[in-house]
Amino acid sequence: MAQLFTKKANIIPLYLLIGIILFILFIIGAFWYWGSPYYTDVGYQPEQPVSYSHKFHVGELGLDCRYCHVGVETSPVAGVPPTQTCMNCHAMVKPDSDSLKVVKESWDTNKPIQWVRVHKSPDYVYFDHSAHVNAGVGCVSCHGHVDRMNVVVQMEPLSMSWCLDCHRDPVEHLRPLSEITNMEWKPGANHTEFAQDLIQELNIDPPTNCQGCHR
Amino acid sequence: MSETVNEKTITGRTYWQSLRELSEHSDIQELIEKEDKINGFSRREFLGLMGASLALAGLAGCRRPVEKIIPYVVAPEEIVPGIPNYYATSFQRGFDALGLVIENHEGRPTKIEGNAKHPSSLGKTDSFTQAEILNLYDPDRSTGVLHNGDSVTHEDFYAAWNKLYENYVSNGGNGMVVISEASIAPTFIRLKKEFHKTFPKAKWIIHNPVSEENVIQGVKIVTGKTALPHYNFEKAKVILSIDSDFLLMESGAVRNAMEFANGRRVQSEKDDMNRLYVAESSMSVTGGMADHRLIVKNNQIADFTVAIALQMKHQGIAVSGVDSLATAVEFEEHFIKELVVDLIKNRGKSLVTVGRNQPEHVHALVYAINYSLGNIDKTVSYYSIDNDLMPNANFIENAAASTVIIIGSNPVYSATKNSNITNLIKNAEHSIHLGSHVNETSQQVEWHINQTHFLEEWNDAQSLDGTLSITQPQILPLYNGISNVELIGLMNYGEFTKGYDLVQSTWKNIVSGDFDTEWKKTLHDGVYSVNGKSPQKLSIKNLQFNGEFKSSAHDDIILELKPSASTFDGSFANNGWMQELPNPVSKLTWDNAAQMSHRTAKKLNVKNEDVIKISNGKKYVLLPVWILPGQADDNITIELGYGRTNAGRIGNNVGQNAYNLMNADGNFLIENISITKIGTTYSLACTQDSHGMNDDKLADGAIQERLPSIIREATLDEYKHHPDFVDHAVHHPPLKSMWDEFEYDESPQWGMTIDLNVCTGCNACTTACQSENNIPIVGKREVHMGREMHWIRLDRYFSGDPDNPEVAIQPVACQHCEMAPCEQVCPVAATTHTEDGMNGMTYNRCVGTRYCANNCPYKVRRFNFFNFSKDMPEIVQMARNPDVTVRFRGVMEKCTYCVQRVNSAKISAKKDDRPIKNGEVVSACQQVCPTDAITFGNILDPESKVSKTRENNRNYALLGELNTKPRTLYQAKLRNPNPNLIKQHS
Repeated sequence: MAQLFTKKANIIPLYLLIGIILFILFIIGAFWYWGSPYYTDVGYQPEQPVSYSHKFHVGELGLDCRYCHVGVETSPVAGVPPTQTCMNCHAMVKPDSDSLKVVKESWDTNKPIQWVRVHKSPDYVYFDHSAHVNAGVGCVSCHGHVDRMNVVVQMEPLSMSWCLDCHRDPVEHLRPLSEITNMEWKPGANHTEFAQDLIQELNIDPPTNCQGCHR
Repeated sequence: MSETVNEKTITGRTYWQSLRELSEHSDIQELIEKEDKINGFSRREFLGLMGASLALAGLAGCRRPVEKIIPYVVAPEEIVPGIPNYYATSFQRGFDALGLVIENHEGRPTKIEGNAKHPSSLGKTDSFTQAEILNLYDPDRSTGVLHNGDSVTHEDFYAAWNKLYENYVSNGGNGMVVISEASIAPTFIRLKKEFHKTFPKAKWIIHNPVSEENVIQGVKIVTGKTALPHYNFEKAKVILSIDSDFLLMESGAVRNAMEFANGRRVQSEKDDMNRLYVAESSMSVTGGMADHRLIVKNNQIADFTVAIALQMKHQGIAVSGVDSLATAVEFEEHFIKELVVDLIKNRGKSLVTVGRNQPEHVHALVYAINYSLGNIDKTVSYYSIDNDLMPNANFIENAAASTVIIIGSNPVYSATKNSNITNLIKNAEHSIHLGSHVNETSQQVEWHINQTHFLEEWNDAQSLDGTLSITQPQILPLYNGISNVELIGLMNYGEFTKGYDLVQSTWKNIVSGDFDTEWKKTLHDGVYSVNGKSPQKLSIKNLQFNGEFKSSAHDDIILELKPSASTFDGSFANNGWMQELPNPVSKLTWDNAAQMSHRTAKKLNVKNEDVIKISNGKKYVLLPVWILPGQADDNITIELGYGRTNAGRIGNNVGQNAYNLMNADGNFLIENISITKIGTTYSLACTQDSHGMNDDKLADGAIQERLPSIIREATLDEYKHHPDFVDHAVHHPPLKSMWDEFEYDESPQWGMTIDLNVCTGCNACTTACQSENNIPIVGKREVHMGREMHWIRLDRYFSGDPDNPEVAIQPVACQHCEMAPCEQVCPVAATTHTEDGMNGMTYNRCVGTRYCANNCPYKVRRFNFFNFSKDMPEIVQMARNPDVTVRFRGVMEKCTYCVQRVNSAKISAKKDDRPIKNGEVVSACQQVCPTDAITFGNILDPESKVSKTRENNRNYALLGELNTKPRTLYQAKLRNPNPNLIKQHS
């Protein structure tokens, strides 16, 4: 009986095997890269109903974060300011600006502004702003340089491994409590000693057990 | 009974949870065979559904959903988003009131707790109160005003009333009939008085299907005054309860339970405890706590009371009216004699109480008995009730009306069928109904107005002892409803007045001193003038009975109706938490049944779940049979509150309406019934064997051997002689671990103790846990398959004589083992330990292998077979606790020791740079427990309450011989039987 396949065909299974392995690696790699929060979440920059610029208000005018996000030191939720907070100034300052239209409308009709959430932890994660802020973790550590953003963008992946990196070794993210909202603060030369002292002083012991965040 | 049952085990007792378990060896078995009749999907339907869901799953992209943050426009000063606020309020329940503290998240009430300053709640609540949160967010609540079924506005109704008002003011209210629920709230009373002034000819009927009418009438017979008893169980050494479920169903049960438990709490072998005798026809929560329980057929309860009175006379204590009495029923003479000896020995420190369903002359006689025992004003005092606030059950026959106004109650469902309520409404020119739902009554009236929930309204409340409190709204009315006082205000004044103004004008006459200060203080504290009234001094008349007591020595089958521990009188029928709450004794959910003893079943030739037709003349219901230990022979018991037709999506057509069987007299005891077997069966969802630690597949002998180590108990006498008896229930070689054990030596370490001696099995912890931890409702079908989700279950064990067993209750939640078997088998480390000793559950890690549940010896893990929470209407989602994850399909869950409460205490302690305070963390079950049976706290803090209870020598670890090292410890149950009455164990 004649040979059905030529001798060359012997190589096909090998190619096939290599092809399948490459394909599997590609699938894994694709999920690894395009499925990770570094790709899906970092850089998320939705359009907001009001073209409010943190860069201008915080970076240039020098408003403190806590002027608007009042709950950050006391509550799990930092809080998005009520329309009233905007109107505290804008009743007088540039009240007829185009950018302020939505805010004015909210103020006049008593209907809240619907902001789009940028930083989101999943429903099964309980994050407490006050616990972090009172332990010397600054705003900039998680939110990035908001004072340089015209439109807020997510800078960090907020993934579990990212959280745990800091929970396991918080030293490099600690700062004096007075500098929490200071976006420009830079650690000094003896930062490690300072951080060790702070850990002693504030009894900083970030939970690494599951129930620290999952409840 | 068989050999196994009589076999002596370690403590000389045998236990069983259900007759099925017991009957493996008995002739009862054939009676209780269960037919499993669940209709599943067909294969074709299943594949169809699967295909459809796969197709849909493909469409849903991976794009991140856009989520909105919606801040306030003007932020309220007192609300910081993320931090709950707590406000006091109160809640009128008939002739009693409960003081409450409500947890609010951003203006949304989510959890109800008791107010410790209020003498009727003492910081505690019960299942019914816990479930009110779900009632508030019931998606089937009425949303507006209906005129003959058409949606109209409130203004339309006000205008229509205004026309009637002019007319009725001029004729003095002639032809007006008002039907309302019982209340002693100050504003209600004030407006009712004003109503009678404005409309002197109008009639006002107080109607509650389950009411205190007989109690008040009984006191009136013997003293001439209308008053209600107020018990002090703490002071009573010997208690006789005659058909009275004072620990769960009677008025004032929350306070009763705490005071009873205080009289029973034993810290060491040096302490004493009270003794409870119960005479009843069907097993109740109170009966389960009894040291001696006598089964008395319900129509012979009166005879039993007579027998007690006669025996007292025999022993030289005269009871008023006793000379005219005799009984033909023979009771166990030795029992009656020793019981009366015990009562007399403790004169002034004893207490006889009788249930509200017993006729008034029994109440009169019991008053006389307590009087002769010197208990009045010692263990029981009386508070007067205005004559015109008296409930009246059989009211409507002789009423005729041109306008009927029904406030709150639902008489078309709950009044007796020959009370002609339907005719009264039909014949009236105008009929008005204020109700939270478009229910059976609303269907028949001209005007239906939606009523506010008590968490939405300004109102006030008064408890029996005169403690006044204000009901303040926790949220604006969800559907713009009006409250009962607002409707009465409208009736009185012809125009709408806000509840706030009505309540304030009442209170201006109540408070002394500066009104604003006192008002604000009362709102803040939740109470004003604790024990504001003093008890009424009543004089006893010479009682003379003329044939009210009829001896019923026959053995005809009788029917006893009683309010349900789940739906009460039907008002909780549309509440999924309550429907799914297992009955404390029968453990049935989602249905009522005809409960009977196994002898009665044999007499009727029926088995469990056989449907029988119970007829009273032309009226009948069809109900499945449920055979229950501890039930009187020839005495069928049916729970009321089921068979609603217009309750809503949960409560419609669940069970059967037993009100239909009542005679015109409104009596809950019905004689001359006939019973026929229909020949069909109906399957009931019963949880008693769902999560048994005594696996059915285990050899029978092993079950019987294991149970006495699971539930340990002794008599007080045995305890005094052997204070270490718990340690001898199980003997095992020294326990050695296979691993290096983790040292839990850093404070805090969490632990719990549960005192089985005071746990009544009232279910409050189960409902509180459900409310706190967002536990889903799964429905009857799933319960039937043993998939109920309650994190804390109440195991109910019977022991001793199968005809009149003793009961022991054991609440079982996750034991938080230090050497947790579940953690050892989880392939993905979804269940792990925290360094403060809690067994944690991480839902997002769980892949649903269910290995943990299989390996858990306590059977406390619950699996989400479906996405029970996903399709809940938005309004129901408002009841959720935002601090607890809502679980999704395919994950395991279980008690977390309220880790959300632990964590928030930890965080706030850390922020303040201090250790967690003693008592700062309270678990939801501990907080609600009306008997303080549950204690939770830091076991390394020597000052904490839990450290102290852990020192008690009755502590034992459940299945401790498995070396699981549970953090929850149980304190063994004690019984205090009369030494002269101790039954001879075979």
